[in-house]
Amino acid sequence: MGISRRSLFGAGAGALAAPALLSGCGSASASGRKELVFWQFYAPTPVGGSPDVVKQSQWFTKMVDDWNATHETRIRLEYVTVLGNPKLATAFAAGEGPDIFLLSPGDFARYYNGGVLAELTPYMEPEAVKDFFAPNMATRTADGKVYGLPMEIEPLAMFYSEPALTKAHLAESDLPRTWDEFLDFGDKLKSRKAPPIMLPSQQGYYQNFTWYPFLWQTGADAVRGNTSGFDSAGAKAALKLWQDCIQSGITPRTSPVPDNDAVAALGNGYGSVSLNGIWTVSAFKYRKPKFRYGVFPLPIPAGGTPKTALGGWAFVANARGRDPETAAKFCVWALGSMAKDSIQRVVDWCTVAKSDIAPRASALAAGRRAGGYDHPVMKQFADDIFPTGRGEPRYPPVVYKAISDAIQQCEFSGADPAAQAKLAGDTIDAYLTSYRGVKIL
Amino acid sequence: MTDLAVSERAASEPRAARGGRRLSRRSRERIAAGLFLAPDVLGLALFVGLPMVVCIVLGFFQVDGFGGYTFIGLDNYRRMFADPLFLGSLKTTLLYLVVLIPGLFVVSLALALLIRQRFPLVGLFRGAFFAPNVISLVVIGLIWKFMLTDQTGFMVRLLGFFHIPSPSWLGSPHIALWVVVAVTIWFAMGYYMLIFLAGLQDIPREYYEVATIDGAGVWQQFRHITWPLLKPTSFFILLTSTVSMFTGGIDLLYVMTSGGPANSTSLIIYYIYEQAFVYGEYGYASAIGAFVVAILLVWSIGLFTLTRGGRFNDARD
Amino acid sequence: MPATDPAVRPRNRTVHKRLWVRFAAALVLAVAAIFPLLWMLSGSFRKPDEVFDPSLVPAHPTLHNFSYVLTQVAFPRYLLNSLIVAVVVTVVALFFHSMAAYALARLRFPGRDTLFVMIFSTLLITFPVILVPLFLIVHTLGILDSYAGIIIPSIFNAFGIFLLRQFYLSLPKELEEAAIVDGCGYWRVYWRVVVPLSRPVFAALAVLFFLANWNAFLWPMVVTTNTDLSLVQVGIAAFQQQHAADWNYSLAASTISALPTLALFVIFQRRIVESIKTSGFK
Repeated sequence: MGISRRSLFGAGAGALAAPALLSGCGSASASGRKELVFWQFYAPTPVGGSPDVVKQSQWFTKMVDDWNATHETRIRLEYVTVLGNPKLATAFAAGEGPDIFLLSPGDFARYYNGGVLAELTPYMEPEAVKDFFAPNMATRTADGKVYGLPMEIEPLAMFYSEPALTKAHLAESDLPRTWDEFLDFGDKLKSRKAPPIMLPSQQGYYQNFTWYPFLWQTGADAVRGNTSGFDSAGAKAALKLWQDCIQSGITPRTSPVPDNDAVAALGNGYGSVSLNGIWTVSAFKYRKPKFRYGVFPLPIPAGGTPKTALGGWAFVANARGRDPETAAKFCVWALGSMAKDSIQRVVDWCTVAKSDIAPRASALAAGRRAGGYDHPVMKQFADDIFPTGRGEPRYPPVVYKAISDAIQQCEFSGADPAAQAKLAGDTIDAYLTSYRGVKIL
Repeated sequence: MTDLAVSERAASEPRAARGGRRLSRRSRERIAAGLFLAPDVLGLALFVGLPMVVCIVLGFFQVDGFGGYTFIGLDNYRRMFADPLFLGSLKTTLLYLVVLIPGLFVVSLALALLIRQRFPLVGLFRGAFFAPNVISLVVIGLIWKFMLTDQTGFMVRLLGFFHIPSPSWLGSPHIALWVVVAVTIWFAMGYYMLIFLAGLQDIPREYYEVATIDGAGVWQQFRHITWPLLKPTSFFILLTSTVSMFTGGIDLLYVMTSGGPANSTSLIIYYIYEQAFVYGEYGYASAIGAFVVAILLVWSIGLFTLTRGGRFNDARD
Repeated sequence: MPATDPAVRPRNRTVHKRLWVRFAAALVLAVAAIFPLLWMLSGSFRKPDEVFDPSLVPAHPTLHNFSYVLTQVAFPRYLLNSLIVAVVVTVVALFFHSMAAYALARLRFPGRDTLFVMIFSTLLITFPVILVPLFLIVHTLGILDSYAGIIIPSIFNAFGIFLLRQFYLSLPKELEEAAIVDGCGYWRVYWRVVVPLSRPVFAALAVLFFLANWNAFLWPMVVTTNTDLSLVQVGIAAFQQQHAADWNYSLAASTISALPTLALFVIFQRRIVESIKTSGFK
């Protein structure tokens, strides 16, 4: 089940400070100190769960406890499930968005254009701003000003199952590096009756996210400035690649497990290879620790450049909340200051609570020193894969949908990639003529 | 059989005869009606009616989801009718309903007829037919997605065992919608079966006994006894199932198909949900919602008129 | 009643045979209906990494999921919340809706049909588009994040009014008329005559209302923030994280939460099918 990566909240902290509450949380804190609310899907976790879920929850509670001990205004964590997209959207539409919350790149444009993101740069040291990796930061900035602080970077790559490959008499040296090799590899798996390659097939933001790198590798782009570059040979080739995978049967049309769950896919023998993200490392560690798996970078077309997509959420402050200044200061204090504790916090999140690339150079270096990237797969991600990354786009919904339709039509309806690329390009162009808002990246 | 007019007079006379302060029967009736209706009318007006009015009004605005409202008149409606995705979802929804509603009707009626009488373990059987309805649509979607996966899905392997080849059930744009229809029938059949069971109670058992003695067969009994006397229930189910299937069931789509593959299961409800909560286009979503209300209103009024307001006081005694 | 008691029907071979044919057909269909749920059931007994195993029966069945869900997670609390909400809404809704339906079916007053059409048309709106205005109204009333906020809006739904009105329209009027002749006021007629006659429909609606509110997800999630107020489906949603989900717990929790409504149905279904109406009164 493809849980949309963009589900869960958007804007601000719900100041549900309604006076006559019959039960439930008290809004104003008893001591009379001002309180800001932080909506996220990690803490306090209502399910005891796997160690990683617990660690993630603890990271949040420790962070907030540390802040509350040293600051006048309190922060309160409120847990909203990952499926809470309507909840956040409703809160904002009703003018009751939370003060601090997590934002995915895909939602950035909408929230920024709506004027609900507080600028964070005034509270950041210039060093700190530069400390964040530019490709990933780009989608959280506008006109050089920072509006969101990424907490993690999640690059995509191909995960493979060693047992499956061994059974198919394939070795690491057989792993594909180019698109042609990729298709051959898939054919080999098919003819040797091995489990197939798995590409995300469910229509949605996640599928788009995993497809963009193939577009970028050809040098093409969906949006360049004021026009769409989608109607291009590159887009056509990328669409055709995925179409060929489905139509020739080397990728299944449907998956029994959610698209973003490589452990279930590889671990249960549904696939030999799965296009997935770095979160898989932590997932394997806690759910199938003995399983032998590896990773290789996304294959590239002839004459193309290696590229992958970088996902990950960011802390943002509600500019229309009760206290945007303090909310912004909190975000900076938590993740974006040059102070040692701030950097360490990022390291802890990315290497202890989760398996992610740190979004800051200083944190990545500290993480390496602490051994957080010693695991061969993590090392490969940090050294080889992450440097080729570009941040997940912040395309407005119309742009997203045009591309999604192109992908789906080519894959499942056997449509002509050139025609679909043109159609999507035209749709995007039409939209861009009347678009007024933050630069689309 | 008592004459209503006579009883009315009988009831009102002694009261009127006592004179003065007593209200007329008609007034008392109206006051009683008002009191009986007050809680529901107030509640519906506040919690449904008022939001509906807001929705209709919002349909004429561009709403950014953060408090920005711009009046744009009929632009949302113009946009709707030029929007290939909306028109596609409308077409998909109509196709979906044309097969789903009769299918659901027939299946739930058949089940109700099958188990309306006592035989061993009938309660458990009724429970079995109702069981799918008890499970959340999220889990239902998960179950079917898993069972229908190409090659590895359990249903697929089962059919393969009987040498029935399976297409890609959820991966083919021209099949996925019918899979959703089938799963929906499976899910909802117990619900409507329950209502049919309640409706079948209106039919006195003697009618069947007399008919059996007269030598009428099962089918004839159905045609001449069950079906005509079931009309109020049938009308009710036809109407409510159309409304409910048009306006609900989004969880199943979200989990099982996400509106795909290639938009083939993108029903209007899914489109509205996405516009409202994923794209933040409340004004547009509201306009579509209002349009749906209009369609359903036409359908409902049509059905009501055809069946004379749902009053079937024919051939009762 | 004796004349209508099916037990007194003439017993002959045709009746027997028909009965067994029905039984066989019902058995086959029931198995077909339940079968897909077996995966959910088997999933609740599986270890986390076996949930998506292709086999129907788990290789290493375990009860851990159930014990985990019931002891390590506040799931019993969620069950209780769902119970409170479902019971209160069902009882109040049955009461309000039957009153309103009785008035619409039996009492005459100006504008009755228009009112019915208006009430009916509230069924035609799709919930996502009224979610935000409803949220604002509930916020204004000050009952956000409370049981009242979940319960009160859930009571008002025209489906029950519609069904009950249909039912009351088709009730023979003799009993009510007799009561009126005896001098009963409308309330007495309603309470003493109409309500007892409503048993089959009440039983059916009780099951349907209970189920709808027990499994409610979208509204309870939006209106509450305090996880102590979560209903079962909102609680189950917490088993899903961003990139992974504890499906084994999710399925075990779903199995548990399916039981009360199923039990309610099995208990009430007899009442629905019991005929309390016969043709003709003496």
